Amino acid sequence: MRARWVRIVACGVAGVLVPALSACSSAEPADSSVTITVADLPPTTQAKSRQQFLDQVAAFERDNPKIKIKPTDSQWEAKTFAARLAGGQLETVFIVPLTEPPGLIKRRQVADITDETRSLPHADKFEERALKPGTGTDGRIYGLPTSEWALGLIYNRQLFTKAGLDPDKPPKTWDEVRVAAKAIFAKTGIPGYAQPTTNNTGGWTLTAMTYTHGGRAEKEVDGKQVAAFNDGPARRTLEWLKATRWEDNSIGRQHLRNGADVLKDFSAGRIGMTIATPSTYGDHITKYNGDPAMFGVTALPSGGTSATLLGGKMAVVSPKASTAERAAAVKWIDFRYLRPKYDAAAAEERAKANAADDIPVGVPAVPFYQPDVVDPVLKVEHRHANVPLNNFKSYTTGVASQDFVAEPPIAGQDIYAALDVAVQAVLTRKDADPAAELRNAEEKVVPILERAQR
Amino acid sequence: MTEVQQRYTPTRAADTATPSADRPRPARRRSRRRLGLGGLVTLLPLLLVFGYFGWWPIGQSVVLSVQQTNLVDPPAWVGVDNFRYLFTDPLLWTTLRNTAWFVVLALLFGFPVPVVLALFGSELQRLGGVFRVLVYLPVLVPPVVALLLWKWFYDPDFGLFNQVLGVAGLDPRPWLQSTATAMPSLVLATTWAHAGSTVLIYLAALAGVPSELYEAAEIDGASIWRRLWHVTMPHLRGVLLIMLLLQIIGTFQIFTEPFILTDGGPEDSTVTVLLLIYRYAFLNGDYGTAAALSVLLAVVLATLSAVYLRLTRKWSTT
Repeated sequence: MRARWVRIVACGVAGVLVPALSACSSAEPADSSVTITVADLPPTTQAKSRQQFLDQVAAFERDNPKIKIKPTDSQWEAKTFAARLAGGQLETVFIVPLTEPPGLIKRRQVADITDETRSLPHADKFEERALKPGTGTDGRIYGLPTSEWALGLIYNRQLFTKAGLDPDKPPKTWDEVRVAAKAIFAKTGIPGYAQPTTNNTGGWTLTAMTYTHGGRAEKEVDGKQVAAFNDGPARRTLEWLKATRWEDNSIGRQHLRNGADVLKDFSAGRIGMTIATPSTYGDHITKYNGDPAMFGVTALPSGGTSATLLGGKMAVVSPKASTAERAAAVKWIDFRYLRPKYDAAAAEERAKANAADDIPVGVPAVPFYQPDVVDPVLKVEHRHANVPLNNFKSYTTGVASQDFVAEPPIAGQDIYAALDVAVQAVLTRKDADPAAELRNAEEKVVPILERAQR
Repeated sequence: MTEVQQRYTPTRAADTATPSADRPRPARRRSRRRLGLGGLVTLLPLLLVFGYFGWWPIGQSVVLSVQQTNLVDPPAWVGVDNFRYLFTDPLLWTTLRNTAWFVVLALLFGFPVPVVLALFGSELQRLGGVFRVLVYLPVLVPPVVALLLWKWFYDPDFGLFNQVLGVAGLDPRPWLQSTATAMPSLVLATTWAHAGSTVLIYLAALAGVPSELYEAAEIDGASIWRRLWHVTMPHLRGVLLIMLLLQIIGTFQIFTEPFILTDGGPEDSTVTVLLLIYRYAFLNGDYGTAAALSVLLAVVLATLSAVYLRLTRKWSTT
């Protein structure tokens, strides 16, 4: 009797689970066609960008009849990435911020696309610095750039004018930033400068500032990466932040916010200057209805060294993709993101469409290819520019002479998290000691780096 | 103690009852015997849902705590490595201190507030309904929306609280921006958000106190405080202890408030256990260590829950 019930229950369970499980397994199609999923379809709230994306999908499928594209509007989300990867829900092509590839490569959560990349047009003409964020320590390629910008200083031109500063002559050094912040606060009562501090953005921006003082977050010793921030450059940066907060009192009292929070306040006219990429102009205009004339950007100020850190996004491929899917994925990345960077005709078509849809055209970006490939593209792009190019001029000239330093290759997010605390300390506690804060951060990071390189 | 008090003071049946040979079998055992095909079929969907979405992930977490995985390649067994690493992370001790501090503050401030509100509410005759609606209203606001509102209240430059202080001629306070005041500020927001449900439970318990007791106590000349202490509190004792335990269990799992309001800052002063688990898993991709800490937290919570179950079972017989 009991055995009968067990059989009934077992059959019931099997009846429910087996169809579900068989539905999960994906069978390769009989013909040689391949279907891939691609992320980053703009949401319905950005109707024009979304339609453009869908048009490109249709055009790609016309050119590649054996590849089917299924676009999804999912965006990179650290919170859901692991679950989607484990559950097989991750898109074949997904877009990640430039801070992510080192960790993803280290954990082997993205596919090696070196071979597929080598067969792309102008593969031998890639700018090394543009490819670097997606290149592993083994020299293999794991991601391709979709948009890259060097970090700079964005500033409110109208507040500059109100404070008696010349908006066409933005600060070039951190000392000048301090003077400008003081002037803005004195004349307008609005914080002259804002530093992101949470969600690892404090450590990220501190790292960029440290680069401008000639420092590094990590260095290689005996073939291993070790923490390198506990020295003069990072200390000088923290001292600078502390002085603006407690001596000048010119950067307000709100010091628990991430980069996105800061940008919102910037667009609302409640911040004079902050560290960001020029691409934030897009969100300033489309997301926050900011005034285009207000937006100014210049190269990252110098603390004695002309350097900056790259920001932006990269396309990567799911580690679960088959060989055919991987090849199709790289083809799509080339079509959607790379071709307009090397093919003048494609660039003109894209720029025209963007300008017609009020999507910013002409925001200076890091070129992906060497000058002989990229110059004709930039020429046609500028013909359709719809951004106030004059407001980007000092950025373009300043960045040209800057050294682009890469993210820390090992456990970068852990370093940023530890440095978040140091930044928060000097901005929220008057008696915080920058040297002690860096020592504490180093103590936290040393075991993490050791463990990551075992 | 007066005669009336003696008559109505709750006694515990479980304490006085003696085992007897001809006591009826416990109801649980009887119902298990009667569970037939119908019962099994009825239970099956529930078992499947619980099994798939509850028990299986719990089992997986325990397995994950002794593995290192990138969720792509087969996981590697690492034994107690994740636990060992966890105990070398200085942030773990900071986190435990923070969580304990939150629990203490929540008990000091968050625990008495609903009791006082309930006592006040139970005295209201005509406006009792309005009072209950007002007290419960914050529970109806989606937590993230409410917390974003509090974020603005606490903004040191443009926030409501500092503007009010400014109007009153007082200096602005740092609220979330200082290691000293960040945690109490979180507790304030949490208490505001959660007090409503607890007040309703206390109000229900207070409604069960026989009014004759108060009348008798008044005739005996008891002051309001003596009536509160000798009549009200003994009746609330059971529910108070249960709510206390539930609150401790809840505060150990605090996440949304520090996640939205401070992201663990300033200087890690509001990183809680759950926030640390989140950071391990989703910022650093260290799923093994995240699972190890989850398992440790589960052990603590399971112990507290066992105490809770034991107490509720005991009081359900009184």
